[in-house]
Amino acid sequence: MKLLIGQILPYITVTLFTLGVLYRLGRWVGPRIVHNITLSPWPKTNTEVAIRVGSEAFLFRNLFRFDKALWFGAIMMHLALLNIIGGHVVGFGFLGEQFALIPGLGISPELSTEMSDMLGTVFGILLFVALLYLLFRRLTLTPVKLVSKPSDNLWLIYLIVLVGVGNIMRLFHDFGVGYEQVRDYIVALALFQPVTHMELLNNGFFLTHYLLVQILLIVFPYSKLMHLFGMFAERWIVNRVYKDPAPGMPNIDVAAARRAGIGIPSDDAAEEGV
Amino acid sequence: MPEYKGMVQPVRATPDEMRKIFAEPVPDEQKPEKAIEYLDEIRKKFRSFVVAMESCVKCGQCAENCHTYLGTRDPNNIPANRAELIRKIYRRYFTLEGRWFGKLVGAEDISLDVIEQWYSYFYQCSQCRRCAHVCPFGIDTCEVTFIGRQLLHWLGITPKLHAAVGGAMEKVGNHTGLPKPGIVDTLEFMSEEIMDEFGVEVEFPVDKPDSDIIYIPSSADFLLNPYTLMGAGMFFTYIGANWCIPSNVTEAGNFGLLFDQYYTQRGNVNRLLNAAHELNAKKIVWGECGHGWRAAKMYVPSLADRPVRWPLTHVHDEAAELIRRGELKLNPENNPEPVTLHDPCNYVRACGLNDNMRTIMNAVTVDFREMNPHGVDNFCCGGGSGILFDDPEMYQRRIQLSQKKADQVRATGVGKDGNGILCAPCSICKAQLYPMVEEHELGVHVHGLIDLLAKALVWK
Ligand code: HEM
Ligand code: SF4
Ligand code: SF4
Ligand code: SF4
Repeated sequence: MKLLIGQILPYITVTLFTLGVLYRLGRWVGPRIVHNITLSPWPKTNTEVAIRVGSEAFLFRNLFRFDKALWFGAIMMHLALLNIIGGHVVGFGFLGEQFALIPGLGISPELSTEMSDMLGTVFGILLFVALLYLLFRRLTLTPVKLVSKPSDNLWLIYLIVLVGVGNIMRLFHDFGVGYEQVRDYIVALALFQPVTHMELLNNGFFLTHYLLVQILLIVFPYSKLMHLFGMFAERWIVNRVYKDPAPGMPNIDVAAARRAGIGIPSDDAAEEGV
Repeated sequence: MPEYKGMVQPVRATPDEMRKIFAEPVPDEQKPEKAIEYLDEIRKKFRSFVVAMESCVKCGQCAENCHTYLGTRDPNNIPANRAELIRKIYRRYFTLEGRWFGKLVGAEDISLDVIEQWYSYFYQCSQCRRCAHVCPFGIDTCEVTFIGRQLLHWLGITPKLHAAVGGAMEKVGNHTGLPKPGIVDTLEFMSEEIMDEFGVEVEFPVDKPDSDIIYIPSSADFLLNPYTLMGAGMFFTYIGANWCIPSNVTEAGNFGLLFDQYYTQRGNVNRLLNAAHELNAKKIVWGECGHGWRAAKMYVPSLADRPVRWPLTHVHDEAAELIRRGELKLNPENNPEPVTLHDPCNYVRACGLNDNMRTIMNAVTVDFREMNPHGVDNFCCGGGSGILFDDPEMYQRRIQLSQKKADQVRATGVGKDGNGILCAPCSICKAQLYPMVEEHELGVHVHGLIDLLAKALVWK
């Protein structure tokens, strides 16, 4: 078990994830944008395009405009997720002491670790609650129920379990693992050194959490999670710069036409003395 | 016929009618297999389709934003589910997860029943793109139904209405089957009408060589919306334009966009450009037609098969520009009635006409009231993409599909005294709304925008 999940599977996961995503993106690059189907009103410059797409990607602009409740749930979930993914990288990388490295703030390494713990706990719980809300919504709102497939509910449940196990490790220190253990483990993996003797692999919660993440990454390219890339691919098609052709018709002189009285019956025109 | 296992469906074209528009119907037993073959071909060509197939998260936001679901509460009229009708097949045959996990991810085998579902629900979509407008990713279900209808057409399933329109276009160059003598007669009659009603002399030149401008009216304006065509004539006369109507293309619409974006749409585009070429025109100005203007403005560049020498603009673009430059003398008092504007979806979400329509509206009326929502957020009239079917079942559906629009119009209060104007500057909107304002008893008359502009022109 330790050998499989801790030593062998990670390499397989990384390979399958990378190849899978590339395969999927490759399928999108082959077909072309045949006709111009940008949505109007059009952005007139690439900066405007970037603002539009950026506000959708990071602020969920459309959800905000058309469904505030969904916006709130979605932004909480994704924001917490983003911070947690970032937290995993930075926290393990700097052993929780990252904030002490920011010059001028005078944060001690101890304080930084505490802050790190704190943020992790807060976002972990936030993510868990937000996922619960999204599941609740999926199971109760008629239109959402009507568009859901079993896999949509399963994904949410899967993430809830994954995040739940992570939260247990964080909230109950007996079940948790230290930043250092994880860092040493990752370093060893990266250097292709044996890791099976490492203590953290004896932790059942860690193994479970770790296995769930790896399965997620392997299935990722074949799932709805590809919307991470799909969103940019779709926006690239429907939000592009378009410039209207200049209005103005050839050989038109309205003032002259009106002076000449075009369209006014000639007997009228005679009366007016034109 | 217009029902199949509980689904409403438009009356379909007979095999002979299909052949007239150069499509050979596929026998029923081969349809499923051929459908997969054609779908495979198309998915390798259109990225817009593939990305729409693979990116939806089923968040459900599009549901309450599609007038067809609001009006019918039919689950398959939720945009995400409409797209799912084809996505379930796409998954099953063209994705690994569909092959591995089947029903779990909503994959399904192709069958005649599925094809009949496509026919029912792709022809209830009015291709208004409101779903794309509200989707967090911009997923365009309109694009999905374009492709669904294309597949159906190749299989030999096209509504009688669409096929008839395609056939008439092929034969005489407009949808109503009006030949050149009829066109010239009608235009002469319109000149007389204008003289009687407005006291001005307007001529409608037809096929005049070396015209600077060719104007492409909607053919419905010859019969059903005369004030729109009369209005255009008055506008061009007022500004002293050297213009004409090409008898070979008296049709602003292009139903190719709506059922066959390959042969039919391309054919119509080339027919247009040939006419401009033969008359040695300098510019093409488009009349009031929503889908037709989208087909022209956005698709001529990719379907022309040649360099396009003629700038294309909409008559609203030109009128608004002249208003902004202060070149038109207008008296808004000539339109004293309360007016509201129905934004044709294609204008506001695909052609960027939003501001120009309002420039004109504000200059030519005194009591203009916006609907809620309006502009780019507006809901479709329920007739879009030519789903103007007249058989009893589909007509009943049309009433439901226009429910949202009726509620919106009522909320503006313009029809309270029975003299309101519902301005709907698109031929399909007009054709849908003429009967629908009666069905919903809205107390309004339906008009185009150029109609109102022409009424406000001050000639001396
Ligand atoms: C730029 C990146 C991303 C953007 C813009 C984005 C955007 C969205 C949006 C707008 C929704 C629909 C709202 C909702 O149902 O909550 C959604 C749903 C979802 N996203 Fe993301 N997402 C991104 C990345 C990710 C990633 C990396 C994951 C990975 C685990 C993820 C997981 C989910 C899940 C599971 C749902 C479905 C929620 C539900 O079923 O209600 N997203 N995303
Ligand atoms: S709004 Fe977009 S992502 Fe959400 S269900 Fe509809 S099509 Fe899918
Ligand atoms: S294009 Fe319009 S009618 Fe069709 S699914 Fe989208 S919102 Fe509904
Ligand atoms: S008919 Fe009119 S309102 Fe309806 S889709 Fe066309 S442009 Fe939209």
